[in-house]
Amino acid sequence: MIVAAAVLLLEVSPDAAVSAAGAPPQAESASEQSLAIIVNLSNPVDNLSLQDLRTVFLGERSHWPNGRRITLVMLEPGQPERKAVLRTIYHMNESDFSRHFLQGLFTGEVFVSPKTLANPVGVRKFVFNVPGAIGYVRAADVDGTVKVIRVDSHLPDDKDYSLRIQAHPAK
Amino acid sequence: MQFRTFAPIRPQRVPAGQTIVRPALLLLLGVLWNTPPLRAQQVGNASADTDKQTIQTLLQRIERLEARVTQLEAARQTSTQPQAAGVSPTQAPALSTSSVEAEPRPEQEAEHTEPERMDMSKTLLRMRGFGDIAFHGSNQAGSTTSFSLGQLNLFVTSDISEKFKFLGEIVFEGGPDNIYGLTGGEINKFSVDLERYLLQYSHNDYFNLSVGRYHTAIGFYNTAYHHSTWFQTTTGRPLLFEFEDRGGLLPIHNVGVSATGRIPSGFLGLHYIAEIGNGRSSRTPLVTEPVQNEIDENTHKAFNLALFARPTAVQGLQLGFSAYRDRLTPLASPSVGETILAAHAVYQVPNFEWLNEALLIRHSPLGTARVFDTPAFYTQLSKRFGSYRPYFRYQYINASSSEPIFPDVRLRAGPSVGLRYDASEAVALKLQYDYTALRQQPATNALTLQLGFTF
Repeated sequence: MIVAAAVLLLEVSPDAAVSAAGAPPQAESASEQSLAIIVNLSNPVDNLSLQDLRTVFLGERSHWPNGRRITLVMLEPGQPERKAVLRTIYHMNESDFSRHFLQGLFTGEVFVSPKTLANPVGVRKFVFNVPGAIGYVRAADVDGTVKVIRVDSHLPDDKDYSLRIQAHPAK
Repeated sequence: MQFRTFAPIRPQRVPAGQTIVRPALLLLLGVLWNTPPLRAQQVGNASADTDKQTIQTLLQRIERLEARVTQLEAARQTSTQPQAAGVSPTQAPALSTSSVEAEPRPEQEAEHTEPERMDMSKTLLRMRGFGDIAFHGSNQAGSTTSFSLGQLNLFVTSDISEKFKFLGEIVFEGGPDNIYGLTGGEINKFSVDLERYLLQYSHNDYFNLSVGRYHTAIGFYNTAYHHSTWFQTTTGRPLLFEFEDRGGLLPIHNVGVSATGRIPSGFLGLHYIAEIGNGRSSRTPLVTEPVQNEIDENTHKAFNLALFARPTAVQGLQLGFSAYRDRLTPLASPSVGETILAAHAVYQVPNFEWLNEALLIRHSPLGTARVFDTPAFYTQLSKRFGSYRPYFRYQYINASSSEPIFPDVRLRAGPSVGLRYDASEAVALKLQYDYTALRQQPATNALTLQLGFTF
């Protein structure tokens, strides 16, 4: 049991080390409040319209053009990034979101339900490791391990970029 | 001698991040290995084998962890390089696109070449339950006011691999059955039905194949709600989509093959569904299962083709039609050709829904000139106000009294009004009043209070 505990501790420690040391500083800037849509580096897609992005996030599309199955990764409920995605892409609240995917799985239209991860580092790592993954993080949390795709031909620091996190979300 | 076990760990260059972790772990394992309790376990050969296996497992795990540390270190270095070079995060796409085109990462390349296989380390089976409990009464002759347990539905899915998935609905429901107007089974006794049983293959967006028992894609409702009252706004399905063993008209279930997918059509958002299966049994008197799970009563297969559009301009709108064709062979009477044409226009967004469906069921006994047409439709409207959702539905079925397959149906028409209250994300309370006009019989009034839930 002690050995097992030691191994478990070891398993946790690299992640903890990276999250502590690898997290970029939270600088206040305009682009920090933008939400970057990220995919795996091997994904050939560079740009999606907001409508196409919506169909991908709704699970209505199951494969990328390269044949890889789309795996959607979401942050846990309550996080500002997730709230922004529900508001701007889904036009749903948490309850509607849950129901949508439950019903999609029930009817068979949605092949795989979204993965849920606790923090942006986890999302980045997941997208880095899974060729068909798509997720979102703050633009300030993006690094070179993932690829940011354009939405309606705009990148997160463009003025007309549509996916932004509300500074003061409405209660 | 004992440390030979550690031989698989080869001396190698240790990345900077691992210099402390790996020796510490080896030291810890060494200390633990030499402690009396562990040494005592080596007395017996069986214990020694167990220890070796444990150590081998741990070593394999260490190797995996080392590989992960290396990967994370690489990720950190990669993440710091662009920032050091003054590249903003949003400039990453251009860099990444070119690097990918030049050379894919080894681990990803390995995944690309990996054959389709089942991941044995995953827990494959997922289960979701649906149920409902109701209190209802009506003025129908012989009816009593009763509490009743609705269907208990265990919805099971399993991701077998990236391309294959299993989907099943195991339903426990009380009797008796009502098939073509004939009552069978025992009152108050529950039985188990395997309502859906599908192996699904997802090739791409344009081609998906399902084999097994499915809900026939006639119209919209049948494939949208299946066996869960909690999903439905109302307390039950429209009469024309009632299940076969509850007096329904349609071949709701089918056993066979179903192909589905998108049709490249831009803003129209076209989809197709093509099905071939055993169809519905028509043999009378029918006291068991109307769905032909194992043996078809004839070699003629049932075909169904459905097309629907989800225009991108109007989110939530779906327009579609379907055509179903089968041949029924009742005992002691000529075969009957069955054609079912259906059309639907549905608008559904979280706060509002308007469902409209119309069907024509045509039965044509072979060798005669007679044709029996049964028109049917329903319209359903609801709007959500917070946790409350009032709704209205009007439905109509008009079958001939001499209809060869379901002579008991005749005319059924009338409105339903109700209120759904979502007490939580998973529990809904519904109160519904139904008025149904019947041909040559008194109309019925019914009131139902239902608690639907998912778990």
